[in-house]
Amino acid sequence: MESFDVPDSTDWIGTPLAGLMQVEQAFRCHVCKDFYNSPMITSCSHTFCSICIRRCLSVDGKCPLCRALDQESKLRGNWALREAVDAFVKSRDAILRFATTPVTVSTPRSPKRKAGELEEPVQDAQNKRPRMTTRSSKAKAVEANAAVMREEVDVLESEDTPDYEPEPEDGLVACPICWTRMKPWQVDRHIDKSCSGSPQPQTLPSSSTTNNRGGSGFGSARSLFQNPPTPTKAPDRLPALAYSMLKDTALRKKMGELGLSTAGSRQMLEKRHQEWITLWNANCDSAKPKRRSELMHDLEVWERTMGSRAPTMSRAANMGAQIKDKDFDGAAWATKHDTSFKDLIAKARGSKNKAVQKEDEAGKTGELEPTPDDGRGINGTVIVPDLSKGVVVDLTGRHQANPSRQIRR
Amino acid sequence: MTVPFAAKRLGKELQKISNSLPPGVELVSAENFEEWLLDIKVLDDNPLYQNQTYRLKFRFGPSYPIEPPEVVFVQLPDRPIPMHPHVYSNGIICLDLLGQQGWSPVQNVESVCMSLQSMLTGNSKNERPPGDEDFVRVNRQRPKDIQFYYHDNDV
Repeated sequence: MESFDVPDSTDWIGTPLAGLMQVEQAFRCHVCKDFYNSPMITSCSHTFCSICIRRCLSVDGKCPLCRALDQESKLRGNWALREAVDAFVKSRDAILRFATTPVTVSTPRSPKRKAGELEEPVQDAQNKRPRMTTRSSKAKAVEANAAVMREEVDVLESEDTPDYEPEPEDGLVACPICWTRMKPWQVDRHIDKSCSGSPQPQTLPSSSTTNNRGGSGFGSARSLFQNPPTPTKAPDRLPALAYSMLKDTALRKKMGELGLSTAGSRQMLEKRHQEWITLWNANCDSAKPKRRSELMHDLEVWERTMGSRAPTMSRAANMGAQIKDKDFDGAAWATKHDTSFKDLIAKARGSKNKAVQKEDEAGKTGELEPTPDDGRGINGTVIVPDLSKGVVVDLTGRHQANPSRQIRR
Repeated sequence: MTVPFAAKRLGKELQKISNSLPPGVELVSAENFEEWLLDIKVLDDNPLYQNQTYRLKFRFGPSYPIEPPEVVFVQLPDRPIPMHPHVYSNGIICLDLLGQQGWSPVQNVESVCMSLQSMLTGNSKNERPPGDEDFVRVNRQRPKDIQFYYHDNDV
C-alpha cells in the first residue's frame, strides 16, 4: 500500500487549538471525507461535494444523510461554504504549524518583521502576534532568534515561487508599487487612493483569502474587484439520458457526439455515459473548471478501476478472483464444470497421443525434448490456486511506519 | 485525481481509525483498500456475548462508499460467530444497513462496526435465523448478491 500522509481533522487533537477539529469536520464532505470540493446543497439542505452528491443521486436518487428523494437538477451551489472552505484550506497548514510549535518559539518574530512583510497572507496568523508582544520583550526575541531563523528558511523557500510565475495574460497590468493587478485605467486612481505602498503577494483568481493587512477592509474589497468571480464562462451542463428509452444505436451516436468510447456492452456504455455526465456536470460547478482533456483523463481512471478495463469486470479475471477466494467451494465448482473438465481431459489425452507419435518419429534424432511435465494439462488437472492465502499483518507498527506524521505531532 | 475515489476515502478512514476507534472496536489488519479485518466486542453485560470477541471482514469494491462494503463475521478458533437471529452460522449478516437499500455513503467502517455492536447488544434471542442450516449449505452467493427480505424491524 502506498504510504499516505492524509490530513485529517484529528490532526488538531492534542494541540492547543483542539476546537478546530470540529471546524474542520464541518468543512469536510460526508461522502468522500475530504474538504468540500464545489459544495452543492440539496433540497433537504444537506451539502456535499458536487461530484459526490451527483454520484449518489445517480445510483439511488436519495440524499445520503437523510434518505430524502432528490434530483441532480435541484442541486444548488453553496458558494458561501465554498469560500469558507477554500479560505480554511489555504491557511490550514500555517495554523497547524502554529498550533504544533511550542509557544516560546512561535511568539517572537520582531527582528525579521521586514522580511515577513513580503510573506503570503496565510502567514499573518504567525506574525500578527509578535507585533504586539515583541516590542515589550526584546530579550525573549533574541533568545528565540535561532528558532525563528530556522523557520525563516522554510518560509523563504516556500515564498519564492510567486516570483517565478509568468505574467498572467488576463489583460490586466500590475501596479508598479504594490504589484496588485488591475485594469490599466484603474492604476492612477489606485495609486492615489488605495495603494498600500509596499509589494503585495499576488492572489490567484478565485482565491477568497481576505487580505487582512491594516484591517481597513480594503484588501478584501479590492481582491474581489480585481478577480471577477467567474474568470471563464462555465460550460453548459449535460442532460441526463433515460437509458431505457434509448436504442443501442442512438446511445452510441450520442456518445460518439460527446467523443466517448463506444466499446463494451450496453451496460458498460450506460455506465460510462453516466460517469461522464457526473464528471462533466460536477466540473461545471467548479470555481476553476478543468479542461476537457483533464476530464477525459479522469474518465480514463474510472475506466481502469470501474469501467471496461477494471480488473474484476472481465469474465476471466472475475473467475480467477472467485477461485482465489478463501471460501471457494471446490466441490461445487467441480460438479458444475464436470463436463468441460472431461472435455479438457479428452483433448489433453488426444494431444498427448499425438505428441507421443511425433516423439516416436523424431525419437532417433533425440532433438525433440519431451514437454516437461508440470502437472497441468496432460492429465487434465485443473489449476487450483493456493487457497491458503490471506496474509494477516499486524497493524501495531503502523505509526512508526509513517515518520512524517510523527514529527508534526 | 489519479487515485480512485474508493482508495482515497478509505485512506482517510484508515487514518482516522488508526488514531482512534470507539470502545470495543479494534483494527486487526488493513493492508490494502480491498479487505480489512476488525474485532468487535459487546461492551454491556448481555449474557449472550459476554467476554467474546468477534472478527469482522470488510470487503470494499471500487465504488465504495457509493456502494456498501461486504461485511461478514469470520470464524476462527478464538473468534466465534455470534448467535443472533440475523447472523447466519457462516458469518453472513442480514442487515439492511449493509444492503443496497439501507446503505448510505455517509456510513463508514466505524459506523458499521458500531451498528453491529448495537445490533448484538439489543438482542436477547439465542438463536440463528430461520432456515439457517439450509441457507448455509446451499448458499454459494456473495453476500452482496443475496436478496435479503428484511422482515424484522425490531432489531
